[in-house]
Amino acid sequence: MNSATTYTEERSPTDWQGDVMQKRIRRRYAAERRFKTLGLGAIILSAGFLAFLLIVMVGNGFRGFTQTELPVEIDFPVMTGGASASQLEGANGKANLRTLGIQDIVNTSIEIQYGEDGLELFSTGGWNAVGRAILDDPNIIETKATLYLPTESEIDVAYKGNGSASAEKKVAELDDQLSTAFNWNFLSNSDATDPMQVGIWGALKGSLITMLITLIIAFPIGVLSALYLEEYAPRNRITDLIEVSINNLAAVPSIIFGLLGLAVFLNLFGLPRSAALVGGLTLALMTMPVIVISGRNAVKAVPPSIREAALGIGASQMQVVFHHVLPLALPGILTGTIIGMARALGETAPLLMIGMRAFIATPPSGIVEPATVLPVQIFLWSDEVNRGFVEKTSAAIIVLLLFLLTMNAVAIYLRNRFETRW
Amino acid sequence: MVDNDMTTLIDSASSSESPTMTISKAPAIPAGDGPLKMTTRNVNVFYGEKQAINDVSIDVTMDNVTAFIGPSGCGKSTFLRCLNRMNDTIPIARVTGEITLEGEDIYAPKMDVVQLRARVGMVFQKPNPFPKSIYDNIAYGPRIHGLATGKDELDNIVETSLQRAGLWGEVQDRLQDSGTALSGGQQQRLCIARAIAVDPEVILMDEPCSALDPIATAKIEELIHELRGKYAIVIVTHNMQQAARVSQRTAFFHLGTLVEYGVTSDIFTNPTEEKTRDYITGRYG
Repeated sequence: MNSATTYTEERSPTDWQGDVMQKRIRRRYAAERRFKTLGLGAIILSAGFLAFLLIVMVGNGFRGFTQTELPVEIDFPVMTGGASASQLEGANGKANLRTLGIQDIVNTSIEIQYGEDGLELFSTGGWNAVGRAILDDPNIIETKATLYLPTESEIDVAYKGNGSASAEKKVAELDDQLSTAFNWNFLSNSDATDPMQVGIWGALKGSLITMLITLIIAFPIGVLSALYLEEYAPRNRITDLIEVSINNLAAVPSIIFGLLGLAVFLNLFGLPRSAALVGGLTLALMTMPVIVISGRNAVKAVPPSIREAALGIGASQMQVVFHHVLPLALPGILTGTIIGMARALGETAPLLMIGMRAFIATPPSGIVEPATVLPVQIFLWSDEVNRGFVEKTSAAIIVLLLFLLTMNAVAIYLRNRFETRW
Repeated sequence: MVDNDMTTLIDSASSSESPTMTISKAPAIPAGDGPLKMTTRNVNVFYGEKQAINDVSIDVTMDNVTAFIGPSGCGKSTFLRCLNRMNDTIPIARVTGEITLEGEDIYAPKMDVVQLRARVGMVFQKPNPFPKSIYDNIAYGPRIHGLATGKDELDNIVETSLQRAGLWGEVQDRLQDSGTALSGGQQQRLCIARAIAVDPEVILMDEPCSALDPIATAKIEELIHELRGKYAIVIVTHNMQQAARVSQRTAFFHLGTLVEYGVTSDIFTNPTEEKTRDYITGRYG
């Protein structure tokens, strides 16, 4: 054949120094440089987006942690008709305070100082701050004290530089009296209708309880499933089917898990609506596949030589799994758990389906109490008409991100502790 | 007495076969000069449809080191792994025939495979210490089998095991260091010590020196000499010189069949089978 003759011909020696080769080398270098530049560009772009997000969030959100205040002078001895500080100390303090009628005292003082329309300048629930101040330090009840109370929301927004024309005018009039202070109530209150009175604690506590339930349910079940599937289950059609199902489950849109939770936990089991327990269970359903998949990969990555070593000196299958495989796979399992839990923490849609979008004005005190979670709270606030909620939404987002960072930091710390350091 | 036992065993092994078949498939089993530890009769191993071991019968005696040699893929490791049922971990592997330890059929349903593996310890090709301290590596076996009643006894087991493996002098000051931080040769001796610690009757070694340098290999070989007699030792090796150096009995495998089994010196100087001669003289393998 023809080809046979060409193959038997002597090859001419390769010219490694020639122009063609030099050009090839240059092209190769150029391709390397292009690839490196593109990669670097991608990193810079994503870092830029992240920085932009953080700057905007922190910039907006920080204002959500502050409130605008106006001073109110209250002449307690006159107003209360000479109540004594000792009355307000101890266990009965709160009850005695109530009989004094703080709200009326505050309102009257405001009217004296700011005129008939003065009340409109202040947040409706602002008088509560006076009650708290008195309980903190009962001695002020015997003095003429000046207390700073939160203004009405529009003025607050306008003072921070984003308000309506009418509010801007009021701010201009009061400018020398207005001041800004850290809004501690934001960290201890729950949802409210007045943006000056809202707080994040209810949602934060709801998120904490929900996450705890998710973890308690999803982690052990996920890890045990992964271990069983990898170490015990025979390889056959059924396990293949299970594997495919789990992989698909991890990709199912979260709202469908919400529907599942609604159908199973609320309708079938009759668990209470809006409860952290149901939220946690629903999110556990969603998180489990992620833990199973990452767990299986981590278990698969444990070198077979370790299993053989343990089997070879007469360890039972369970001893192999729990003494050797699981400790070595745990860092990988925890990584998957972090990813799953982070996703669950940020999840809104499935929780809407099980009624966690309700207006919850008191923090949940148990797993079956009505609760809401941070992302749902953000969703609800972002929907509000009142401008005061804009910065509260941003502030809530910051709290959510901080929660996420804390959770991940704990998980990474745990992972590093379990990681064999040799 | 021993000779008598051997003859009856040979008889029973060859009775089912025609005389000519006996020579090729179940070669004469050399009379052991120590108590018989393990016997295998007509062992076949299948991986799915493929037959990996074909009708192998070998005896393992207490006082001899038995070496399995043969080219790659000849089934010597597969056969070794039948002796402590490590093949059970491979779902498609199927073993037929009879393998006994001290007269007990190890594939019998009542045989506890976990205990079997403690009695028939194994050292692997690649040193595989646990990623734990040297102490815990040795102590793990005794702990799970409840061989030590207190800390002192456990310390004692760890020390004697390491001494027997010739590692005590090198590691006695750093028992809490990681086992994986040792050199390759030390790791392999650690694995031998770990096998010894559960007080096995037989130690199977699957090419224990193939990942080691010549000095570490020499130490392991020396160790095998010292352990001989305390434990029945079966070693699989690629290295014919090693088989000649450490073993008293040698079995030559080829393509899943046992070609020849005999006294090591005979196999190496005067093999009866042509295949063995070809392999030993380096014509293939």
